[in-house]
Amino acid sequence: MTIAVDLPSLGESVFEGTVSRWLVSVGEWVEIDQPIVEVTTDKVDAEIPAPQAGVIDEILVSEGDVVEVGAVLARIDPEGKPSASPAASEPANVPPPSMPDPVAAPPSAGPTDPPATPVARRVAEEAAIDLRDVSGTGTAGRVTKEDVLRHQSGGGATAPSAPVTAPSPPVTEAAPVQTAPPAAPAPTAPTAPAARRPAPARSNASFGYELQPGDRVIPMTPMRRIISEHMVYSKRTSPHVGAVAEVDLSRVVKLRSQHKAAFQESYGIPLTFLPFIVHATVRALREVPALNASVVEDSIIEKQDINVGVATETEKGLVVPVVRNADRLSLAGTAMAIDDLANRARTKKLSADDLRGGTFTISNPGRQGNLYGFAIINQPQVGILRMGEIAKRAVVRTLDGEDAIVIRTMMYMALSYDHRAVDGAPANGFLYRIRELLEAGDFDL
Amino acid sequence: MTSSLSVEWLGERRYADGLTLQDQSVADRIAGRTGDRLILLEHSAVITLGRSTDPANLHRTPDEMRAAGIDVYEVGRGGDVTYHAPGQLVGYPILDLAGLDRKDVHDHLRRIEAALMDALEQLSVPARRVEGRTGVFIDRARSARPDGPDRKIASIGVGIRKWVTFHGFALNVTLDLAGFDAIVPCGLSDVEMTSVLRELEIEGKGEGLAAATLDEQVRGLVGEAMCARLGAEGS
Repeated sequence: MTIAVDLPSLGESVFEGTVSRWLVSVGEWVEIDQPIVEVTTDKVDAEIPAPQAGVIDEILVSEGDVVEVGAVLARIDPEGKPSASPAASEPANVPPPSMPDPVAAPPSAGPTDPPATPVARRVAEEAAIDLRDVSGTGTAGRVTKEDVLRHQSGGGATAPSAPVTAPSPPVTEAAPVQTAPPAAPAPTAPTAPAARRPAPARSNASFGYELQPGDRVIPMTPMRRIISEHMVYSKRTSPHVGAVAEVDLSRVVKLRSQHKAAFQESYGIPLTFLPFIVHATVRALREVPALNASVVEDSIIEKQDINVGVATETEKGLVVPVVRNADRLSLAGTAMAIDDLANRARTKKLSADDLRGGTFTISNPGRQGNLYGFAIINQPQVGILRMGEIAKRAVVRTLDGEDAIVIRTMMYMALSYDHRAVDGAPANGFLYRIRELLEAGDFDL
Repeated sequence: MTSSLSVEWLGERRYADGLTLQDQSVADRIAGRTGDRLILLEHSAVITLGRSTDPANLHRTPDEMRAAGIDVYEVGRGGDVTYHAPGQLVGYPILDLAGLDRKDVHDHLRRIEAALMDALEQLSVPARRVEGRTGVFIDRARSARPDGPDRKIASIGVGIRKWVTFHGFALNVTLDLAGFDAIVPCGLSDVEMTSVLRELEIEGKGEGLAAATLDEQVRGLVGEAMCARLGAEGS
């Protein structure tokens, strides 16, 4: 069964609207409430949301068409499979695991009927195809609509279906994944049309898990759920690319030990490494505004303000309070702002305003067992810097014209950036600039 | 007077920041993290080009405008060309129309117009609607200068996402109207743009008015009028 998306009543005097823009295309998976089309009436642009999750089965009106209230704009197939190949490397385009996976056939089906999706069943019925003749490639050998169509078009038995437990293909960093962010149209980045491959077996749609004796079930707290949703949203929205730089912190170490006592004396807080990193990053952001940006609709927005979020672990989970206008702060000011936010995070005294408006994020997951790693972008930002552990390492330096192995305090910094908005050259330039600033150790204290 | 609407004045913001802000505010309102809000601000000088902008509506090329210190911004959505600058009061009502039991987008437009007209009447600027055109115009019949083309003082355009409104209105208060020369506002070639200051001058009441004072006064009046017209009934 497909579900009709019709033009809802937008008011008593509104009888029709003009379809101004489709935000999705046929074959694309949409979430419930995801805006799928913009309709303009008089001076109002209304976004029409999907009434249910599913695949866009049919688009019935074109951009520029005038449609009456109640007219059907599109049809959504809640059981459908996304047709576009990018789904192969984009798990978010595949129905979420919450979808029921009724391996048991519906009551109407004969006992010998193989498992099949309702759509497949309908298509087979219409084409008078016996489902038993169709080999299923869906989860647990379930017959899908595509299987029926392939059978009908003479494909006969398909190639052996992929093992149902096959892991999804990994999302590679540089893959031109055509994402479908819920609030924005698909990016116009060129994707090879030739890349249309048959949709693979749905390998990651339903990772059902049967509880085993001794398992402990921990319901997610609301905060955990928010974190979870945000992470999935971010990965789905932004093609993440990672880059790592190693930085020699020897000058910073020296500065810090020279000023530690006086700093504690003057400001009443310890001088840690974090403010140095934040301060250097902020200076680099000023020089490379491409990283201090957001993608909104078809535009990249470079922000005037630099508000740096500092990821902070609390008892209840991860929070990212924001150092506002960080570029106007001295090193000491930065240190005090971070200390204040961290304290308030721990004592649960952060306000909503402390958590919003960040334009870039720095994550300092801490101490040991963390050489480097890539953080997930904090949407709607386009970059996040993750600090690795700070440790002494043997490195090669040229001293008096001679190469020598010396011991230096080193750290890896990993930048994750949104390839929709930022390309490699500016991102690497940005990362390198942070390194230069830290290695120069040119901080006012 | 209490209202269900909280009014916030943000000062001058770049247009792009305004977009981000609205996106965030709409998300917050949908999620119930905030109540209904009216965000008031001014934009740094900018010309916005809609998807459907007819190049004939531009009298100068984007490069020429940028050279003149005016930002040019392509909004990637419907609508035609608009001009914003300091001295123009911009308001984004972020309202949950479903929550207000007013699921009618035209009613929302008419209320914004009505509130702007209320505020203008308080300033002794005669205002009216023009049939078939959204926005607020000078009621020339009551003006000291009744001749000439229609004079438009405020533009209105609304977006709606899950019955939460965004975008809103732009009321010309003291801005230099020469900025509009670069464009034909909203594709209306038979309309002249005007401002509160300009109309007060026409009425002979412009003497000794400081722009900053007038901006502030208009802000206050518009905020109150919006609360009365857009807030929940009976609040």
